[in-house]
Amino acid sequence: MQSQSFGSRFMAMKRDQFHHGLAQAKRNKICYLFLAPYAILFFTFFILPIATSIFYSFTYYNILEPARFIGLQNYVNLILQDEVFLTAIKNTFVIAVITGPVGYILSFLFAWFINELPKWLRAVAVVIFYAPSIAANAFTVFSIIFRGDAYGYLNSLLLEFGLIEAPRLWLTDPNYMMTILIIVILWMSMGTGFLSFVAGFQGIDKSMYEAGYVDGVRNRWQELYHITLPSMKPMLLFGAVMSITSAFNVCDVPRALCGYPSTDYAARTVVTHLFDYGFSRFEMGYASAIATILFLVMILCKKAIAGLLGRVGT
Amino acid sequence: MSELNTVKSAGVLKTISGKKYRGHLVASETGAAFYEKGNDTPLVEWNYTRLHRMDNIRRGGTSSQVTVILKDDSRYIFELDYGLKVYNHMDQHWADKPVTPKTRGDELHRLAELRGEKIQVPKKHLITRRHPNRSIAGDIGIYLMLILVGAAMVFPLVYLVGSSLKPLDELFRFPPTVWPQHPTSDNFSDLFVTMGQSWIPFSRYLVNTVFITFVGTFGHLIIASMAAFVLAKYEFPGGKMFFALVTTCLMFSGYVTGIPNYLIMSRLGMIDTYWALILPAFAAPIGLFLMKQFMEGLPTALIEAATIDGAGQFRIFWHIVMPNVKPAWLTMIIFSVQGLWNTSAATVIYSEAKKTLVYALQQIQAGGIARTGQVAAANVIIVAVPILIFVFSQSRILETMASSGIKD
Repeated sequence: MQSQSFGSRFMAMKRDQFHHGLAQAKRNKICYLFLAPYAILFFTFFILPIATSIFYSFTYYNILEPARFIGLQNYVNLILQDEVFLTAIKNTFVIAVITGPVGYILSFLFAWFINELPKWLRAVAVVIFYAPSIAANAFTVFSIIFRGDAYGYLNSLLLEFGLIEAPRLWLTDPNYMMTILIIVILWMSMGTGFLSFVAGFQGIDKSMYEAGYVDGVRNRWQELYHITLPSMKPMLLFGAVMSITSAFNVCDVPRALCGYPSTDYAARTVVTHLFDYGFSRFEMGYASAIATILFLVMILCKKAIAGLLGRVGT
Repeated sequence: MSELNTVKSAGVLKTISGKKYRGHLVASETGAAFYEKGNDTPLVEWNYTRLHRMDNIRRGGTSSQVTVILKDDSRYIFELDYGLKVYNHMDQHWADKPVTPKTRGDELHRLAELRGEKIQVPKKHLITRRHPNRSIAGDIGIYLMLILVGAAMVFPLVYLVGSSLKPLDELFRFPPTVWPQHPTSDNFSDLFVTMGQSWIPFSRYLVNTVFITFVGTFGHLIIASMAAFVLAKYEFPGGKMFFALVTTCLMFSGYVTGIPNYLIMSRLGMIDTYWALILPAFAAPIGLFLMKQFMEGLPTALIEAATIDGAGQFRIFWHIVMPNVKPAWLTMIIFSVQGLWNTSAATVIYSEAKKTLVYALQQIQAGGIARTGQVAAANVIIVAVPILIFVFSQSRILETMASSGIKD
């Protein structure tokens, strides 16, 4: 009697497990069904291109002929023979090193400042600071402001104050190009990361500040370091990812402002170089090698920043 | 007794002996009285020589109880029938609603005049500090920084709008002005009228861009939300890894994947069709990322309850999850619109009739400085749309962005 009841209970348990497993499998199926449309498109337009890039980077491919495997030749040529690429690397590096961290810190600082404002003023300030990056094409107005003739706003201003004697060619003189580019990119750097910071500041539990005050937090800097920063780590990492993206993918701004190609390639970046080989010369293998290097650098950058942020506030 | 400052409230008066009388309490600046219902002479009357104070205890915000305390320490309890009544110690009278500081000051003065007293009004501090651990110098510094940098941020946009409204002679005036003296809409009408007679009218580019933006954003919202829903609320093999992949791909812009994308699209026969722009937009990583992070904040109980009720997954998604993540819709929309609206698409679309607004802008710009006014006008049209969407949905977007962090 006892064993029978045990046996039937065991059977019931097994049956339940089976049904549970079945339900799990059914739910998994539904999950995959929901994910499928996005996953298919995502793999086609985001993962496959990266894989394709890596594959073609080891070949000579010009669309007309079938791809021919050449090993590391593209990478060797890039680093050893392509002087323009070295200029591009140098420019991208300068832009990334300056606009990346500076844009990131400015985004954070101004999000912090804005958070100290009364509510209605905060809304206005967020629009003012975020507008340049959301209106991605507004930067073309700089081609009027920095125009090379006397009608350019900057030139006329400087002429009027007698600071220069003849209009400067801000956008075509290699001496000025990078400075102008960095200014324009910084102007646009209050982007998605900035928005995330603003939201992050608003989401911090107010009672933590009160507790901090009782515990002896005496000024806003201590409050920032001991309370705000640690609770904003996830936003900081998100902002960093967004900064890396915009710092390394500089392409539209130099193309629109400094011309394409620019004088002496002085405003060439890695992405414009990639564009040149991909869409003008159709050397797809070579362009793919450039893209692959860029992928690697960006992933390494993100890893390094995630490691750095892990130590913030501790 | 001045009628102005008399407040009448209906309720029940309890005496110390426990007797209850229904009626109303009348309070004015000279004293207070209780009238039984249907009786014109007061049942009890306290003038200020007898009255010590009147305490108000709020219960649950809407009903309240008043204790009338006399100088001989005897007391009455008056229970208000309805509504929020507040007794104000400052000016010692009843109010139908909490007295705001401004009216309180006014009443105080009137009371003082009536009684012939002088009342000291407390001085207001010029700068009130919200936080005790904030220095005023720091506050001023912050405002100064915000004003200076804010002006620098907004200047190019103001200059852009100014340029679009300038007539030709002002565009080439020396020294140039920021804002036109004689604003004109010529540049805008030029775009649509003069260029309307060209091979491809300007309005065509506008329609193309609106179409691409609308379809791309709508599809992105549905497809990415579906994926975000299962990634946020269910555990299934591969889900976490997939999300990590999406997070990594946040970094890769359209430029870097542009060339292989071109190769793939040409294989799929999508070159020179709107699909080449719309389909990748459906799968934009940023939208899925933000939506998934936001959906994680949804209470799981909400979904469990619906599952127990026997609702299918799609029903749950459409009728329960989607209505609850409306703020995230707007965020997805703004990022999707930002991407699509600003796309020049020169590499995947060749037919002139299918080109976008930004491409048209670049073409007008290539026309040289004679077209400066039209460039500015076209730019204003392009810039205005995302900014306006953002202005009207800012609070919702910030709500979503609060969950945007990457947990590593």
